[in-house]
Amino acid sequence: MKKLILILLVVPFHFLISSGNAQTLFSTSAGEVSFYSYTPVEDINAVNKKIGSIINSETREVAVQMRMTDFSFPNKLMQEHFNENYLESEKYPTASFRGKITGNEDFTLPGNHAVKATGKMKIHGVEKPMELVGQINSDGKVLKLKLEFLIKLADYKIEIPTLVFAKIAEEIQVKGVLDLVKK
Amino acid sequence: MRYNFIALFLFIAFFGYVSPAVAQDDLMSLLDEDFAKKPTYTFATFKATRLINGRTVETISKKHLNFWISHRFGAVNSGFINNFFGLDEAKIRLGLEYGITDRLMIGAGRSSVEKTYDFYSKYKVLRQSNKIPVTVTAMGGMAINTMTTGYITETGAEMKFFNNLERYSYTGQVLIARKFNEKISLQLMPTILHQNRVESALIDNTMLSMGGGGRYKLSNRITLSAEYYYNVVDRTQYKNDTGLPYPYHNSLALGVDIETGGHVFQLHFTNSKGMIEKQFIGQTIGTWENKDIFYGFNIARTFSLDKSAKKKIK
Repeated sequence: MKKLILILLVVPFHFLISSGNAQTLFSTSAGEVSFYSYTPVEDINAVNKKIGSIINSETREVAVQMRMTDFSFPNKLMQEHFNENYLESEKYPTASFRGKITGNEDFTLPGNHAVKATGKMKIHGVEKPMELVGQINSDGKVLKLKLEFLIKLADYKIEIPTLVFAKIAEEIQVKGVLDLVKK
Repeated sequence: MRYNFIALFLFIAFFGYVSPAVAQDDLMSLLDEDFAKKPTYTFATFKATRLINGRTVETISKKHLNFWISHRFGAVNSGFINNFFGLDEAKIRLGLEYGITDRLMIGAGRSSVEKTYDFYSKYKVLRQSNKIPVTVTAMGGMAINTMTTGYITETGAEMKFFNNLERYSYTGQVLIARKFNEKISLQLMPTILHQNRVESALIDNTMLSMGGGGRYKLSNRITLSAEYYYNVVDRTQYKNDTGLPYPYHNSLALGVDIETGGHVFQLHFTNSKGMIEKQFIGQTIGTWENKDIFYGFNIARTFSLDKSAKKKIK
């Protein structure tokens, strides 16, 4: 009987913790991710301003998701090719990253924090382990997350587009700016 | 007592172990929920603004310029020596299209068939999304025939214009398309065509036509397409009055689209020689049964004139 009481005591305690977790969520649905690739013929760049992201500061988990069709190119024909021929957005509508921020430093404290997250990146239906390095600038309520990393197209089975004269780089530079607001 | 401690330990261990995994899935499912609220628009129902002879629901993006070069050759069975399988005679249309907004575009062209200028605009009224099943585009256009008066048409009639207004013809069209999956898109295009002057009093000035067409993507770059316009005309009335068969037929075209970087090549066989509505809906003299099949191609090249967008990203 004693043990039963003990268990009964533990269960609400556990819920208390998890409800505590819920209040440490930082999220956005309007983050920005852009990529850039230089070619001698035409520079290729695009920006997506509808990135969804959530960080749980308690568990240090991070999730980022975006729709491929939300990437906007200055050249709409290029945008169509990006979706139709290379990323196959009908089959693989989203790209995502889910992982955990390493270390113990409390990145929600006001100030600048260099952060590292390990997890899995999923693009074009291919999931690969990935380590992201970035910076969080916090004022306690908003986490301003800045990221910069390289994506190797072959890793995600993305065909490398050939333009008339030149091939585009096999690695694409990706930048992200996400303002995650405390929920 | 000991068992209970083990149970308790297992209980906590279980929860302690599972909850981060659950939470991680939760983060993703929270994001999924957010995404589900926003509409997902279908893109690239067709490769270009033209299916073959006729149009598609697609419009040109804002500040983009599209250049069309179209050719139709003579009948494929017109002989090697006489006509090089039809390639000796070529009809050409040059056209430009410009996107004012992502939904509204204007266009103009010049055809060598009847030396005709055409002007039109297209507006995308509805966009297919996860909430709306079809894309609907409205099109209105006019064409001006600049042949010298009294020329002989391909049916052998003499065409005399008594004033310049008689050179005008008008087209109104509603294009309704659905992209069923990444490979198949189908389209309906009810059309009304009005010609201020027609070659015979027995041919109506205003004509209705129901178009149907579609595409099937063989690969990312190669697409099969087909297009048919059924004209609502009273052929028996014409035959009873004149003793001659109605001179014009329904237009059928079959084609292959090949897409390379910045170009779309459309290669096709059709029984129409004209490349604008007035000519391919209203004046198709060939039939597939009589093997009046003309080879033709369209080439589209799109240019982005949007300098500001490029700067914004840098």
